[in-house]
Amino acid sequence: MNYLWHILAVVMIQMPSALGYNVVFGKGKILHFGPIATSLASAYLIFLLLKATGSWGIAVAAGCVGAALLSVLFAWISQRLEPDGFGVLSLAVHLGIVSIVLNWSSVTRGALGVPQIPSLPLITSLPRVALLATGVAMAWGGLLFWLHRRAFGRQLAALAEHEWHASALGVNRFRMQCAAFLLAGFGALLSNLQFAPYIHLLHPSDYGFPALINLVLYVIAGGPGNILGVALATVLLVTLHTTLPLLQWPAGIIGPVRLILFGTILFVVIWLRAPRIFPQRRSV
Amino acid sequence: MSQLVLNALIAGSLAALIAGGLALVYGVMGIFNMALGQMALFGGYMTWWFRVSLGQSLPVSILLGLCCGALLSWLTFRVFVEPFVRYHRWLPIVTTIAWGMILDGLILLLFQERPASILPGLESPVRILGGQLTMSQITLILATLSLLAIFAVILHATAYGRRIRAVVQHPHAAMSLGIHALRLRQMLFIASGTLAAAGGIFIGIDQNLTPTLAFPLTIKAYAAVIAGGRGSLYGAILCAYVIALLEQLLVGVTWFGAYTIPAGYQSAVALFLIIGFLLVRPHGIFGSPLRTA
Repeated sequence: MNYLWHILAVVMIQMPSALGYNVVFGKGKILHFGPIATSLASAYLIFLLLKATGSWGIAVAAGCVGAALLSVLFAWISQRLEPDGFGVLSLAVHLGIVSIVLNWSSVTRGALGVPQIPSLPLITSLPRVALLATGVAMAWGGLLFWLHRRAFGRQLAALAEHEWHASALGVNRFRMQCAAFLLAGFGALLSNLQFAPYIHLLHPSDYGFPALINLVLYVIAGGPGNILGVALATVLLVTLHTTLPLLQWPAGIIGPVRLILFGTILFVVIWLRAPRIFPQRRSV
Repeated sequence: MSQLVLNALIAGSLAALIAGGLALVYGVMGIFNMALGQMALFGGYMTWWFRVSLGQSLPVSILLGLCCGALLSWLTFRVFVEPFVRYHRWLPIVTTIAWGMILDGLILLLFQERPASILPGLESPVRILGGQLTMSQITLILATLSLLAIFAVILHATAYGRRIRAVVQHPHAAMSLGIHALRLRQMLFIASGTLAAAGGIFIGIDQNLTPTLAFPLTIKAYAAVIAGGRGSLYGAILCAYVIALLEQLLVGVTWFGAYTIPAGYQSAVALFLIIGFLLVRPHGIFGSPLRTA
């Protein structure tokens, strides 16, 4: 039973991050490869401050500010660059932050990570963690679904389809994209706030390139922009990821098999959804 | 200091080999091949396999390794790039990420994580310009420069090169003049993959091949291409050497007589260069805007 609670907790902890990224990459069609950079920076900010001050309030507030600043920075940069240039830059920012975390060991403890992260207040048992994560994921999904059905969703979709036409119709590009990046940033923050206290460790290897690939995979497999689809894909793929070690293959086999399996899944879903991931502009 | 410059020459030659082909592919097709590092490693590992496991001579192993690299590039183009680029030119970024994951897994399964060296054993170094280089390093530097020179001659002194430059400069105008763009793109992609495989062989001879090298190789090549300017072969090659020199100087010099930078930051030089160039000069040092009628 505990294993089922664990799977539920892991799946639901990942959910806000996946749904948030879906707003930028799936709905907004912005080639953003830096969501893990926001996760990493805000996670270290929160838990290093928590260790230093012992106050959840100060730590979470600082994490919110950090995530918001980085999100706005990404939104601003995305205005200045060609989409593929922004994709490469956001990836470089992510890897640059990983490099700083790994090398600034006097503050971050480098590759050792930050151990003994305390549990969230009152969330001390596994069922409580799973139930809290489920509640947060559902509330976050509900909020995004509500936004998706409002003017925000329509305007973001219009910008994704034809930026100039949407701007000509009065859609403020910077404001919309800023909101999309902020939603992605706060989604990542919600996941971080639960993940490190759950495993009691903040480790840079959880924020590497594979973590980005997982997010891309959830969004593409679920259908870019489709909230329910992305939620379902997250459930299935995180469950697959978590249960793969049950095969009890040697460690030297399971890692490469996981890479091949997830690479193949990613390729197959792109192949099936190729015309819809970055659709051609409609014309009369 | 002279040893740092010689080290930069070695690292720069490797990066130039990979970035040179990539610069033309990016210039002609406008796509990012995120599996480039894995393609380089595949060429290196296949050469190692022919040499160490099958006992072939070094020239035969290198030739077979390059052929494997070319074959893999053709497969990558036909399966992971060409069918998707017609939908959107960003799609190959994601498909090649998927292919890179599959290749990473295959390399780990087939060759495992332990370091593999094509020429095991220590060589006695030769003293040059106050620094030290081994004979194989000198050969590799000269081979890289010769290969890039051949590439440059093809680009500037043959009809084939004129077609490539025409497609880089204005694809639609070139196609309207009867240039078979698809065939040209395929050939360029294979040439780029073969140069990357040569880079992998370079690593296998000079150092050790390990599966974790793939992604840093890709990032370094892109840093050179972005800094050099879209489609600029010489810009990419020059910037590959500059990045290598910066990497060596960053961690090899005592700054202001008192400060040293941890060696871990060496790999971040390319990343910060990408960020800096994209923010300040997105078209790179030698990039020029597209000509229009």
